Amino acid sequence: MTGKDTMRDDAIRDQAARWAVLTGEPGFEDWEGFMQWLEADPAHARAYDAVSAAVAQAAELAAQAPEPVTPAANDDDTDHSAHAAPRRFWLGSAVAASLAVIGSLWVWHGSSRDLYTVETAPGQMRSLDLENGTRVDLAGATVIRLDRKDARYAELDTGQALFTVRHDAARPFHVEAGDATLVDLGTVFDVTREGAHLSVGVAEGAVGYNPKAENLRLAPGDRLVAEAGAVTLDKVPASQVGEWREGRLTFDAAPLREVADRLSRATGIAFAARPGAEMAISGSILVTPVRDDPQMIGALLGLDVRREGDRWMIGKP
Amino acid sequence: MTSPSPGAGLEAAFLAHRDALLRFLRARGAGDAAEDLLHEVWLRIQASTPGPVASPLPYLMRMADLLMIDRYRSQRQADKRDRDWTEVHSDLAGVSAEPSPERRAAAAQEAAAVLRVLDRLGPRAASAFRRHRIDGVAQREVASELGVSLSTVESDLRIAYRALGEWKERRDEA
Repeated sequence: MTGKDTMRDDAIRDQAARWAVLTGEPGFEDWEGFMQWLEADPAHARAYDAVSAAVAQAAELAAQAPEPVTPAANDDDTDHSAHAAPRRFWLGSAVAASLAVIGSLWVWHGSSRDLYTVETAPGQMRSLDLENGTRVDLAGATVIRLDRKDARYAELDTGQALFTVRHDAARPFHVEAGDATLVDLGTVFDVTREGAHLSVGVAEGAVGYNPKAENLRLAPGDRLVAEAGAVTLDKVPASQVGEWREGRLTFDAAPLREVADRLSRATGIAFAARPGAEMAISGSILVTPVRDDPQMIGALLGLDVRREGDRWMIGKP
Repeated sequence: MTSPSPGAGLEAAFLAHRDALLRFLRARGAGDAAEDLLHEVWLRIQASTPGPVASPLPYLMRMADLLMIDRYRSQRQADKRDRDWTEVHSDLAGVSAEPSPERRAAAAQEAAAVLRVLDRLGPRAASAFRRHRIDGVAQREVASELGVSLSTVESDLRIAYRALGEWKERRDEA
């Protein structure tokens, strides 16, 4: 199977999982939309059957297993010892620590905007509904500012966010990221900002970049990278845009520093690039195994991995 | 009571939407069996007593959908380990009531593997999965229990479903 096929299959599996979640909710109405998706490709029904059957079987198996203690909504840790054995299944992972939302603090920004900040911890993901049909998914270690009075505005301070925007030509959605302004033209797009480095990938629709300066129009599959005043355009498979929400990271000739940043963001475990090692890394990985065992990244991406203090240094083997 | 029974309402909806249901079964991959499966839906309506159904067509679509999932699962029982598993857990008459210790052990191992997959999702997603899929709580209610938005629960479940799909593939390939 070629890499392209694998990617396509992955995208179909993602869509199938999404539909399986939607059809499982009582009151689901969009059977017409589901039918159209099914009719678009016979592989869709097969993928939907496979994931539905897997989930049904897993639920039956899990129901047979010892009942875990359901964490309370205000999950405090006082009763861990009393339920140590069953809780092992549920709170073993590092995600428990990042479950607490770092919080939203209100920030006044001049007189026109009423901004507040939402942050995620490394390894955390969070989905924000801004208004009907418009959503922002935040990757880990991300800081974003939103406007209480204007649901069509966001500032990305640092990190990565996937914007799913219901297009309204009269009220375009604006994203400010450092010096850059992005304007939706009906859209799903992903923005990553690390200091002066900005990357924008478009999955659906189109995005305008700096309408008052360069005024570039990005179409699905376009990726823009802006760094130190230089803007470059290349391609990214549209199915890869926002795949981090499903716990997958894909690197395409990425420098080590970028690999380390993105791994840290996704896992909540500190990775760093060993100084002086220049390498271009390619590969697509699932985050979960690396979160369980940071050493795994060595085998997955052909890297040397060493622990130094509280960080994992990655470099040339 | 003089009002028509809920079952009669579903039967009327079935007759009114017969073509849509048939199209759905074909889209779901029923192929030549679509007419037979549509009849199966009809039989299930008559056997069921669902109480009042607010929107009959979505209800019937889901019924047809679940029928297709059941069918897929029973076809996959050609897979030996699925068969073993069913024999351990099924209460159906005609299935061995006393599975062998080996089979019990295999089923327990499988259950542990599923719990490991769920555990890796993190506590919130694991709770969401358990509440929705095992306790049968609607996603909207799970969201309010966990104090998060519906789309967060949907996204948690999507990630859980994806992970379980991969678990199943690995298991069937092994």
